[in-house]
Amino acid sequence: MFKIKAFAIRNIKELSRDPLSYIFCLGFPIVMLIIMTLVNNSIPQEAGMTIYRIDNLAGGIAVFGQTFIMLFTALNITKDRSSAFLVRMYASPMKSIDFIGGYILPMVITAIIQSLISFIISFIIAIINDFDVSLSGFLLAVATLIPSAVMFIGLGLLFGTLFNDKSAPGICSIIISLSSFLGSIFFPADSTGGVLLKICKALPFYYCTKSARSAIALEFGFDEFILPLIIVTVCGIAVTIISAVVFRTRMKADLS
Amino acid sequence: MSCLSASTSGEAFINGHNCISESDSVKKEIGISPQETSVAENLTVRENLEFIASVYGFDKDKIKSRTAEIIQLFSMQEVENARAKTLSGGWKRKLSIAMALISEPKVLFLDEPTLGLDVLARRELWTAIESLKGKITIILTTHYMEEAERLSDKIAIMIDGNISAVGTLADIEKIAGKKGLENSFVEIAERSRKNV
Repeated sequence: MFKIKAFAIRNIKELSRDPLSYIFCLGFPIVMLIIMTLVNNSIPQEAGMTIYRIDNLAGGIAVFGQTFIMLFTALNITKDRSSAFLVRMYASPMKSIDFIGGYILPMVITAIIQSLISFIISFIIAIINDFDVSLSGFLLAVATLIPSAVMFIGLGLLFGTLFNDKSAPGICSIIISLSSFLGSIFFPADSTGGVLLKICKALPFYYCTKSARSAIALEFGFDEFILPLIIVTVCGIAVTIISAVVFRTRMKADLS
Repeated sequence: MSCLSASTSGEAFINGHNCISESDSVKKEIGISPQETSVAENLTVRENLEFIASVYGFDKDKIKSRTAEIIQLFSMQEVENARAKTLSGGWKRKLSIAMALISEPKVLFLDEPTLGLDVLARRELWTAIESLKGKITIILTTHYMEEAERLSDKIAIMIDGNISAVGTLADIEKIAGKKGLENSFVEIAERSRKNV
């Protein structure tokens, strides 16, 4: 455990001293919240468009922010690999589980802080716009989004292990685009139907947003909250196990 | 031997531990400074050293005392609070070797430690490496004959992945029938390639 702790502390320090982490992990989601609120305020009420209303927007942007955590996790790993830092660490008593734990833990903490800040800004926007939202709903959404954070961090670990520092960001960008279009973040997937809705429901991103929005609305029905949360949790565990196996295999291959 | 690659044949032991089947024990006994500077760029010199010490399970007091010792040994007081990414090439190499040493290894692997350094930085690093002689076993790989001549008690000449000659400088000169390591190296390399 002390090796995971030591490696996690090193990663937290590296992250907190990299200005890019503030831009990607905090700045960008906050900017999107503000821009989309301005867009919402510009849409006439008669249009009946509620996707950018703060109670819907907050959950979506929080999930959108987590996609950047995935990107940052991948960048963190590819940077260590390209600088031969991992070669040094491979020759130390650290095992693959220490590396995986050391990479995942700081990113989970970052994701929780990101969600908290994102929801605090959302709450302030709700107050400014005189919109009635529940603070406990936002706080619950922070906890609800932990399995989703684990899934995105697992994906980051996977891409950071499989690809180099040039191709991993590209792959992550594809996932960021996919999740924003098919995760019901910037358009209401439920009101589309047909093939598009089927595709959305076949991917886990839709359920990340749905569970977060339900938590904010304090709706805990099986279809609205429980089932999406179960799907996201299962996907989070599966992706983390797959990425851990891939990392371990890659580590063994590097040492042979 | 550094547990970073599998063996093609044969066995190697460090302090009685098999490098393949007992790699966990071997890893506790060795320190490695890879050819590429492999330090945590956003951590300070002190933090890099403390990080490695904590990976090896040292307690707080030991981390503190060992870090102070290593900073003293490599005269790194002036840069101890500087982030690694702001250091010059010479300081980074020194830090890399210091990180390999902080775990109190019995065997230290230095992979081309002075590659790409200017003359002054190289001389400084040689002095630091020389100060370790007699305390631990150092396995140093280099392409600089002058470096091998100055730092080594025993030299192994490796041609195309095979050791073609091993011994003290005098032994190598005797084997090659030439004076100086560079001339001896060229002679042994040519002989080895003719015999292939």
